[in-house]
Amino acid sequence: MGEAGVSNPFREDLVSRNLAEACSVVIFGATGDLTHRKLIPALYNLAVDGELPAGVRILGFARRDWSDEFFREGLEKLNKEVSRTGHDDEIWASLAGNIEYHQSEFQDEDGYRRLAEKLDEIDRERGGKGNRLFYIASAPEYFDDILLNLKKAGLSQDRPDCGSCWSRVIVEKPFGTTLATAQHLNEVVNGTFQEKETYRIDHYLGKETAQNIMVLRFANAIFEPMWNKEHIDHVQITCAEHLGMEGGRGGYYDKAGALRDMVQNHLLQLLSLVAMEPPTDLSADGVRDEKVKVIRSLRQWDTPELVAENVIRGQYVAGNVNGDEVPGYREEDRVDPESETEAYVALRCMIDTWRWSGVPFYVRMGKRLPKKATEISIHFKETPSVLFNATPGGVPSGNVLVMRIQPDEGISLMMNSKLPGTTLRMEPVKMDFHYASSFGKSSPEAYERLLLDAMAGDATLFARRDEVEEAWRFIDKIHNAWEEKGKKIPIAEFPAGSWGPREADELLARDGRTWRRL
Amino acid sequence: MSAVISTEGLGMPVEVGAIDGQLKKLWEADEASTNASLMNFLVYTEDPSRLQRNSETIQELTREHACRAVLIAMDREASEAKVEAWITAHCHLAHGKKSICSEQISFLLHGKSLGRLRNTVFAHLNSDLPLVFWWQGELSDLFEERLYRLLNRLIFDSSTWSDPKTGFCRLIEAREDTKGQMVTQDLSWTRSYFYRLAVARLFDDPMAQKSFPDIETVRVKAQSEHRTGALLMAAWVIRRSGWKVQSRQGNHWKLQSKEGKEITLELIWDEEGAPIAELLIAAPDCSVRISREAGNRHLCQSICANDHCVDFSGPADSDQPEGLVASQLSRGGKNSLFLQVLPQFMELLESGN
Repeated sequence: MGEAGVSNPFREDLVSRNLAEACSVVIFGATGDLTHRKLIPALYNLAVDGELPAGVRILGFARRDWSDEFFREGLEKLNKEVSRTGHDDEIWASLAGNIEYHQSEFQDEDGYRRLAEKLDEIDRERGGKGNRLFYIASAPEYFDDILLNLKKAGLSQDRPDCGSCWSRVIVEKPFGTTLATAQHLNEVVNGTFQEKETYRIDHYLGKETAQNIMVLRFANAIFEPMWNKEHIDHVQITCAEHLGMEGGRGGYYDKAGALRDMVQNHLLQLLSLVAMEPPTDLSADGVRDEKVKVIRSLRQWDTPELVAENVIRGQYVAGNVNGDEVPGYREEDRVDPESETEAYVALRCMIDTWRWSGVPFYVRMGKRLPKKATEISIHFKETPSVLFNATPGGVPSGNVLVMRIQPDEGISLMMNSKLPGTTLRMEPVKMDFHYASSFGKSSPEAYERLLLDAMAGDATLFARRDEVEEAWRFIDKIHNAWEEKGKKIPIAEFPAGSWGPREADELLARDGRTWRRL
Repeated sequence: MSAVISTEGLGMPVEVGAIDGQLKKLWEADEASTNASLMNFLVYTEDPSRLQRNSETIQELTREHACRAVLIAMDREASEAKVEAWITAHCHLAHGKKSICSEQISFLLHGKSLGRLRNTVFAHLNSDLPLVFWWQGELSDLFEERLYRLLNRLIFDSSTWSDPKTGFCRLIEAREDTKGQMVTQDLSWTRSYFYRLAVARLFDDPMAQKSFPDIETVRVKAQSEHRTGALLMAAWVIRRSGWKVQSRQGNHWKLQSKEGKEITLELIWDEEGAPIAELLIAAPDCSVRISREAGNRHLCQSICANDHCVDFSGPADSDQPEGLVASQLSRGGKNSLFLQVLPQFMELLESGN
């Protein structure tokens, strides 16, 4: 054997990350949009970059009666449209030769038995270790069936006959709709796969700028000493979308709402990355241990009074976005005309830890806002008003550090500067770093990074069971308060194309603050 | 007097003393563009006729690597000592929206003067940004301590060196002088990046791993011009495998594994093929072969065991130095793997017949 007794001596040192291992990737819900627009292009781009392990085989599992050829043609067509690196026929041919379609109902046990046979055949042919990665990208109502049938077919267990081989599962969101359903799903998942082989995907964590939060905080000596209640006044996390319920998404959204669809997962994950303590190491559990402490430390808004005081829910009424007339939420396709589902939510979160005591984290998410933007802004405390009290205009404002997650990824810092002239006047100026300007090369898509991590057994960028459940515990209490009989909390309204309801502005105004203008 | 050198495309001629002021005016006149810079990128050549081509290279490189580019060409044969300078900017639409520009200063230094290169570099750097220095051609006497102590990253191409042994000795010395602070990147090493990645991928296969102790032959086919690239790749295989170089007969080397097994390394010149055309690692029951046809953008990767072969296609490295430099800049890092294989490479280079 080669250096250090590793099984593949040529692997070590070539990449500074865990090694992705060859495996069979089985995608449930393979005829869907996620597979066509995200998963296959991600695997293709990994092949283009030479990152995809040799011997990866892809099996699409779905109900429709498609042939291998028809399945591949559809994937190729979409890949040509959406692939980050364009489409190279030769690389595609090499990848497509390893893609097959497996037709079966999700509830049909025989389909899983045939799948097991097919996977065994692939392993024999490849002579590989028999690693399997199951990606559940189907509609959520099939999650239980798929997991239980995988178990029945013996596909979820580590197999004694194949040594160090593994079986892993990636579960797409939504991971439950309440704490109870998430706990149930976790029971089913953990009854099928070990927790260490379970990867609950939150694609926000795969975004370059989300990963950069830890780098910014812990690789730059200037920020961490100030990252606490002594220096930070408050934090804002905004996820704005200009789209409404186009493409039939109203059916799903009207059951979920902004709080469950976005805040429970993506925004609480961002919040935990901003607020967590430095982890002891960068291992999956090292990072996730610290993140879950943040979510566990969120002050619970568990009575209708507290919820009314700290959470604003809203719906848009007809308005104008980007010059187009758009309908109100209740007039949208597949939305109940009497719906009480929130298309906008703003929260005032308090993290009861030593570091963050008294520092509010304002989180807002809304549909049909003026533009698409996700960002985190750290608002530092103002300087003591002694030196520049007498200057015309005074000191304009405190420093703001902004981390833009999407689009136009980057970081900016607002600071005060003297205006040129003979008098002492100050204006805020902006130091701005744009990923696109500084690094012309496009970043890998979130799914590329996450798929590779799952093949490498690195769960750092995936949510752990306790994180998911703690987040649901926080969200459920708000929902329960909204639904409590006799204490109706009103739904605020705002015209589509505006920055949300007046009540959300008042949420901050009560604390003497305003939302950042994006 | 030297040959006439084309300076078309280098931009506006400027007095050396007025460069900063002229650059400022350039940006003041254009409010629609953003001047971006992640590094000082210096390209040095002692072939003045390359100045124009280097400017075209910067035009391409700045699509992905915003920088302050400083191009320096030295006409050492000129009898009269003088300096000519030009400034320009290369602009690109980022994501189809904003115009992102990188500024470029070009110098043509006439006449031989040891200190002038160094001082020209010193005077025109963006402060605090790292200095990446692409030295084209042989490391001449101008590659001296007070210059290389300033560099964060040195890019060179050992395939262009007439005497690689001397060149590498100078390089090792310079690295020691800088206490390892200067990152060195040989484009001849970069040329084999995807070959090495492919070897690592193919040896993920259990059959290949099982056959590893039985490897008998390693064969590299390359253009003779790319001898250092071929030997660097072979040195990597030797290093990672834990083998020792025993002896050499022409282009054949005898190697020995830790278990005492003899392995043959063979280097074959193939002037019609790609710069590096093939790497074969063969055991009696299993062989791993990576090859590339001239001009093809892909590597053919195959693993054969028991008369059954599996083939893949993967990306290949660029043939052009510009493409290799772009790849290097994207990857960054300390390039420590290159340093690790240097002892084996020097052994291959130096081992006697």
